[in-house]
Order: sequence, then C-alpha cells, then structure tokens
Amino acid sequence: MLFFAYAIVRTAYYSFTDFDLFKAPSFVGMSNYTALVSDELFLLALRNTIGFSLIVTTTQTVLALGLAVLVNHAVRARGLIRTVFYLPSIMSSAAMTLIFLWLFQRNGFMTAIASVVLAYRQHILLFLVGMAALQGALVLNARRSYEGISIFDPFFLLVAAVGALALAASCALAGLLSVFDNNLLISWLNTQRHFLFMPVTLWSVALMNVFTTVPTLMLLFLAGLQSIPSSLYDAAEVDGANAFQRFRHITVPALRPVTFAVVTMGVIGTLQMFDQVAILGDAAPLASRVTLAYYVYENAFPAGASSRIGLASAAALVLGILTIAAVYVQKSVGVKEKGE
Amino acid sequence: MLFRPGALVAATMLFGLPASAEEIVRISGWGGSEVAIVNGLLTNVLAEKLAEEGIRVKYEPVDGDYSQFIINGLSAGTAPDLFYVDTFWARSVFSAGQAAPVTNDVSGFAANLLTAFTYDGKLYSTPKDFNTLAIHFNKDIFDDAGVGYPSDDDTWTTLQEKLVAVNKSLPEVDGLCVVPEYARFGAFALSTGWSPFDARGKTVLDKRFRRAFDFYTGLVKSGAAVMAADAGHSWTGGCLASERAAVAIEGAWILSALRDSAPNMNLGTVRMPKDPESSKRGNIVFSVGWTVNAASKVSKAAAKVAELLTTEEAQQWVLEQGLALPSRTSLNDNPWLRGGQPEQIASRVVLEGLSDDHVMPYFFGDVGGSWMQPINAALNSVILGEEDANTALLSAQSAFDRMLAK
Repeated sequence: MLFFAYAIVRTAYYSFTDFDLFKAPSFVGMSNYTALVSDELFLLALRNTIGFSLIVTTTQTVLALGLAVLVNHAVRARGLIRTVFYLPSIMSSAAMTLIFLWLFQRNGFMTAIASVVLAYRQHILLFLVGMAALQGALVLNARRSYEGISIFDPFFLLVAAVGALALAASCALAGLLSVFDNNLLISWLNTQRHFLFMPVTLWSVALMNVFTTVPTLMLLFLAGLQSIPSSLYDAAEVDGANAFQRFRHITVPALRPVTFAVVTMGVIGTLQMFDQVAILGDAAPLASRVTLAYYVYENAFPAGASSRIGLASAAALVLGILTIAAVYVQKSVGVKEKGE
Repeated sequence: MLFRPGALVAATMLFGLPASAEEIVRISGWGGSEVAIVNGLLTNVLAEKLAEEGIRVKYEPVDGDYSQFIINGLSAGTAPDLFYVDTFWARSVFSAGQAAPVTNDVSGFAANLLTAFTYDGKLYSTPKDFNTLAIHFNKDIFDDAGVGYPSDDDTWTTLQEKLVAVNKSLPEVDGLCVVPEYARFGAFALSTGWSPFDARGKTVLDKRFRRAFDFYTGLVKSGAAVMAADAGHSWTGGCLASERAAVAIEGAWILSALRDSAPNMNLGTVRMPKDPESSKRGNIVFSVGWTVNAASKVSKAAAKVAELLTTEEAQQWVLEQGLALPSRTSLNDNPWLRGGQPEQIASRVVLEGLSDDHVMPYFFGDVGGSWMQPINAALNSVILGEEDANTALLSAQSAFDRMLAK
C-alpha cells in the first residue's frame, strides 16, 4: 500500500510538470492533460485500448466458462484434458508472441489455412451440408424408436462426419467440385487496415491474448464449478429442468464471485496490455498497435528524443482512472462479488 | 589495534601489490558481436597500457534496449563511467548535461563524425566507429542467373534491371528484400538532393522525395524485390544470408552476420546506386561514440580509457579483425583496406560511403525516432497495396506538419 500510494502521488505530481528525468521538474499546470486531448496518437491509443479490452475480456470470459464446463463434464482423463488446455498459459508471453509473429506472417500458417479454406470452399460446404443432413436424418430416424435422442448425439455425429467425408471425396473424385486457385498474402499484423472498430493488427493480438489467458481463467471457473453442490443439479433435474436451464439458473448465479474475479482480472490485464505490442515492434505500424500502456512507455522512453515524463505520467493516470472506472462499471452492471 | 603504515608498505613489497590503488572504470556497450570487440581490445591490445595508467576496466555489455538502460542509469545515478552513445539518441544525453565534454585530442577523427557528436559547440563523444550503407551481393547468384554484377556505376534504374533479370532467370530468388523503413529508403531520397529538414526546420515531401518514393515502392511491383517480412526475414541481410535474395542494402555490420550464417558466400560489395536524374549518391551515417558520464567519480580515468579505446593502434586492430570501420582518417589508407578479400572490399566501400554526395547522420533532432514514422507508414501501406502513393504521402505530410508545428 505504501509503495502504491508513493507511486500514485509521485505520478500525479509529475503529470503537472515538464520533466525529462534530468532537469528539475517545472510546474506546467494542466498543459500535459490538454496536450493529451489534442494528441491524435493518444486518442487512437485510447480507442484501441477500450476496443481491445471489450473484445478480449468478453471473449476470454465466455470461452473460459465454456471450456471449464466442458472439462468439468469430462468423465475420463479429466486431469489430462485439464493439463492440455492449460499448457498455452505456462509459456511466457514473449515466447508466445514470437511464435504468433511467425504464424501471422503474410505467407505464414494463418494465411495458409485461409488459402486452403478458400481453395476448397465447395468441398467444405458440401461436407458441412452433407453432415447436417445425415445427422438430421439419423436422429429423426432414431427418435421414431427411442425417446430423448439428442440432436448432437456423439455416435451419430461421428457416423454423419464419415458419411459426409465420403460424399465430398466421391464428388471430388468424380470431378464435380472445383479447386479455386488463389495466391493469398494476408497482412494480419503489418497493416493499417481496420476491421469494425479496431485495427486488424490488434484483432490478431487479441486472438493471441485470448489463447494465452483462457486456460488460467478456465482453471478459476473449474474450481468454482467443483464447489457447486451436485444436489442442486439433482433437484433441478427432478423438477424437469433441462441442461440449459440448469446452467442458467444454477451454474451462472453460483459462479458470480468467480466471474467477478475473472472479469476484473480481464479488464485490468487488457487495459494495461503492453508486452505483446512492444514485442511486435516494427513488425506492425505504430498506429495499428498502440495501446495506452504502450503510449506511456513511448513518451517515457521515446526513441532518439528526451523523455516526456510529464505527458507519460498524465497518460498513466488516465489509464489508472480508466481501469478503476471499468472495474466499477462491470461491478455495477450485474457482475456481483457474492454468489446467489 | 594500532595502524602501522610501515607494515602496509612491507606487505605491499612482500606480496607485490601496487602501492597506489587502481582506479576502476565501469564501461558499457551493447551486447552481441560488440562483446568480442571490446573484450578483444581490452585483453589483446590495451591490457598493458591500462595497467601502466593504474586503471582497471569493468566491462558491462547490455543486451536489449541499450538507450533505455543508459537513460535509466543516468537518471538514477547508476550509469557506467564510460558508455556508448548513438548519434540517433545522443542529443537527449548531451542536452540533459549528462555527458562530460571530450578532453583528449580529436584532430585525427573524421570531421563529419565529430559534427554528429557536437552539441552547443562542444564535442561530447569520441567517435568509436561508424557505418554507411552499401550494396552487398551474392556473386554466385548473379553468375547462375547470367546477369552482370552490380557495380559502382549503377543508377537506380540499372540496378533495378539487374534485380529483375535475376528474378526472371531464377524465380526462387528475389533481387532484393525491401524493408519499409527510412533507415534504408532514406539513402535513395537523399541522393535526389532532398533533405529531411528544410531551412525552416520543416519536412517537405517534395517532388524529389516522391521520385525516390515511387522508385523504392515500385521495386516490389516490378519484380525486383520482395518485402523482407514476406520472405520470413526482418532485415535485408537475412534474405542475403539465406540466399533468398541476391542483394542486401546494409552497413558493414552484415559481415559478422554472414560470417556466422553464410561463411562460404561469394560476397561482393559496391556503392549505393546513383539517382539517374541527379547522378548523385545519397547515404546515411550510423555512428557511435564513447561518452564520459558527467557524474563519474573517475571521469579523468574514464576519459583516458576512451582515448585508449580509440587510438590508431586500437582502431587498426578492430579494423583488421573485420569488425568495424575506424573513425580515424589516418586509417583510410590502411593496407588492410586495400586488400582483395570480400570483407576488406566491403569495409572499403562502406568507408567510401562517408564521402558520398548527400550524406546525413541517422539523427532527427529533438523529434527523435518519431520523425520516421510517417515515412515508414507511407512506405508500408504503398508497398502492401493498401494505399496509393498520393494518399499515403498526403497523410505523411499532414503528420509532419502536425509534428513539427509543436
């Protein structure tokens, strides 16, 4: 608490000064804050940070919860499954970023996947349609004899997949399907293009971030799930509640404290996202990857120029206030600290 | 217990210890191949002289962001007594009063390097070495493609024709890997006579700049080059070393990289091509100097170490190792530089780059590295085909107008 208070007070003081780390700080009033508001890069960083935080926090929370439910339901090899899902989070973010840099090259792995999907789009479409049709037919047929067959029955899914694969392969061999030529070069990182409200580069970083954070958050949800008494689910089942109703009315309310922790950690982590964009470096244009935390660093240690500690401190305070506000808002819109 | 001076003298004589204490000078530079250079200098060349001066050097190489390490150290009072300063960020150290002016005789150093380290009329760094850009090429690739080697007489156009011809003859090899960075493109822009800052201190992307911009961004479209990132590399030297490209535009630092990754390459080096209109060559100088920490308690000893590290003898040794280019003009006629080995030729060409027609240091005043961002962004978006040159340069010009209006 002492260190935190000291840092906050000192940062607040510097935010009202002109300071380059060497000369004595000189009081400049609110001019660092007015400079921030008129700095296009700051406004861009603010927009990028908020967009990134919204996307990543939402996605990682939903995915972590879904994955935890899946792992919790696994009957066999639960330990192994949990370990496999957890593996991505034990790698350092620097190492993961370098791996992703390689995957996201214009002619890298991600582009290769997109290229294959585009080239074989007819095959893929036929496989999906064939599988859905076969699954539907198998389930309808089974329901004539037995009740309670799920539309996602795993055995029928397997049979439908094999049947659809055979259908697509037969059509391809018969020359009924075309393979489309493409010479794709997709810029995932090194681009100034935008998709919706965020640069494409940050969407790619978001994917990377979700991949590395979901496993840890999944473990938190998993611990929460295992603390819910099974008698609640048994009673609900006796009362005729289906799986979704049990999830909606038992799992979600009981997990509220965990969800609060997960969302809070997500909001704080994403608003202060720095390392992955810093490692990207010149592999992506600054405007496409700048976040508030990186903006602070860029002003504290600008390449080839004197430090602008006053401006960096003002931006750091804005980031701090934004983080506290975001946590408060998420708490007040329904994610509670206490379970029901 | 009583202190007995006689006992100390006797002990000193008995155990051979020096009567006066050594001065310890902490020095720092970046890691990588520099560690071998500095360690080699300290142990092979300067050991005796340092002992004579009663100086012990404690060398602390830094991997990672070196400038940040130094700025942090200076602000916290923990910086080494003697350290590297790059022309790129020298001003932030000099203007903050963190460097002690150079006290030794610097008359033997190249004048334009001294200018790069002069601030407010005072010299603050002893130039350690320098680099300029040159065209390095793989002779075997040109032989296989049946294309004539790049030459000192090449213009942008003739070099481009050769690169396209290589790619046509050997489709798996690209002529050059381009990077969307001023650090390489700048040499072409400068050769037109364009200057990063005009007389009013403004950056104007005029017709001369546009001509160089169109040439550089057109290299990929014409089949002369590929984006380095698309070839899986981050610099042009990586493409040359892996034989993905026939040519690289780099300084003499490429030699140590090639020594490790492509030791058998049949390397050739020529000067940067001329602008076909102005018939002039442009180049960028990258330089580093030894700087004494103004707050050092052993500043005299640190200045002495800087002097020893940049003596003719020391620079001769560094040069003959093929590690760096000397900043002393007396070594320009060194017999080693007249040799016919690829490393000797490359070093000679890089040295000659210092006297090209339009040479500028890799330095952008108070703006620092941010100055390059609008140009880098424009190069990137046009090479990727995301914007046309008109739109990209219009945005870049607006960015400069905003940046330099502050």
